[in-house]
Amino acid sequence: MKRLRLERWSGQLFTARSTPARIRPCCLRQQQAALPPRIRFSSSAAVLHDDLIMEDGEELDEESSTSNTNYPSPPLEAAFNSSKLAALHARLNLSQKVPLQTMARTLVDPSADSNADFNNAALANLGGSIMSYHVSEWLLCTYPRLPMTVLFAAAYAYSGPKTLQLVGKEWGVETAAAPGEEVDPGYLQFSKLKPGQALQSQGGSIRPDRKSYYRRGISSRVVYDDEFGDTVSKQAESDLPLPTEHAYASFVKAVVGSVYLHSGSAAAKTFVTNHILSRYLQIASLFQFKEPVRELSRLCAREGFEYPVARILSETGRRSRHPVFVVGIFSGKDKLGEGAGPSLGEARTRACVHALKAWYLYSPGANVRVPSEMEAAGAKEWEPVHIDIGEVIH
Amino acid sequence: MVVQGIRKATVGQNGVGAFILQCKRLDFHYCDWAGSSKGMNSFLKNSLTKFAALNPQVEITVSPRPRRHPVIRGTYINGREKAICVRNLTKEQVLQKAELLRDANGEKLKKVTKPVKSINESVRGVWSPYHDGGIHV
Repeated sequence: MKRLRLERWSGQLFTARSTPARIRPCCLRQQQAALPPRIRFSSSAAVLHDDLIMEDGEELDEESSTSNTNYPSPPLEAAFNSSKLAALHARLNLSQKVPLQTMARTLVDPSADSNADFNNAALANLGGSIMSYHVSEWLLCTYPRLPMTVLFAAAYAYSGPKTLQLVGKEWGVETAAAPGEEVDPGYLQFSKLKPGQALQSQGGSIRPDRKSYYRRGISSRVVYDDEFGDTVSKQAESDLPLPTEHAYASFVKAVVGSVYLHSGSAAAKTFVTNHILSRYLQIASLFQFKEPVRELSRLCAREGFEYPVARILSETGRRSRHPVFVVGIFSGKDKLGEGAGPSLGEARTRACVHALKAWYLYSPGANVRVPSEMEAAGAKEWEPVHIDIGEVIH
Repeated sequence: MVVQGIRKATVGQNGVGAFILQCKRLDFHYCDWAGSSKGMNSFLKNSLTKFAALNPQVEITVSPRPRRHPVIRGTYINGREKAICVRNLTKEQVLQKAELLRDANGEKLKKVTKPVKSINESVRGVWSPYHDGGIHV
């Protein structure tokens, strides 16, 4: 994963820019000098005043124009008066260093408020990288032999949008019916898809493929695609309505990002470990083999084991309507796996799957060291962890 | 790609890692006039601030319910609600009921017959008739 140079830009986020007095108050302001100014009919109305001539010829009174502005998301002060938000903060057991204003901001999706100073896009981006970093390092060090496809599926299971939606709901966060200034900041705000509305395309992917039917190999997915092996859309941020699970996902990521910014990397890691990695997943159930017998024989050839042989261990009712065969797969004198099935072929296939899962799911233990542990002060010297060479057949 | 990955979602185990209190919100309903709200009104005046400060993870609302018995209603993360009528109860008894609602997980009460409830696979495994010699008839 790319190293994040957060020290540089977190400082920018915290320091308030010398802004005109009438600009919308905001807790974490980004430097946006390089970006072209966005036209906003709400808060930037005052900027457009000079060129604006009203029909009746009178100049618009500045005070009245600002008091009538409707912001697309709740104002900052509302964060202090929201009991929902305070309860959410306490429920997540967050440190007092994470202010309520930032918590309020994590609940505003770009589809609700397109202004990058007020939505959670930046925080979600940051939190998403931190989360995927901790999930992937934990998966790689704990299960060093997982095939790449299963690794993608495991990363999806831990930090994919479906799971993050579950996490957000288990935190007790509800969605607002529609985003707006008057909404309690304790609700998740995004513009919802209408029933039957199709998802808008995000303008293609960043892959250099010309045609959509080109094969996406595993190596190219590692290089071009995201942490789940899915294509990354060209348009990173969009104001279009989005499915609920994506809004929840960016909220959970933004919470991780805000914990990182305000409390530091150790706190963010603890947060990810407690809320994401502590969830239950049987990685063995993520495998789907196409040709397990061939794969096992290739594995034995690669590792220099003897050629695998299937032998019947026990059987019953061979001539009956429902026979059961128990078949073991042996490499020399070592039994690699065992399976039971209603036919000899089925039992052999299951035995091969068992043997392959036993190989792929090798783990040096749940408490294996991960690279991020080196960030702690006085950490022991790093011993390289074992990572396998990968799949047997592609 | 001979091995495919199947997409699933992880299952939360509240309390393994982080613990999230399942009670989201407590609504206290009282009546200014009726005598059955006496204990509730005394609770709201004297003990509610302390109770709220001790339980910051619960959102607390207080609202009148004129000419009705006083009620505490809990809203839970699983979407269910539990309401307890606290008519004619004393301040201390109302506090007990509020704590009961706070500690509940929102699920319907059911009889627990098994000592252990777990989603983990059995460590010992399922007994198989085809192993360990089997039965010789």
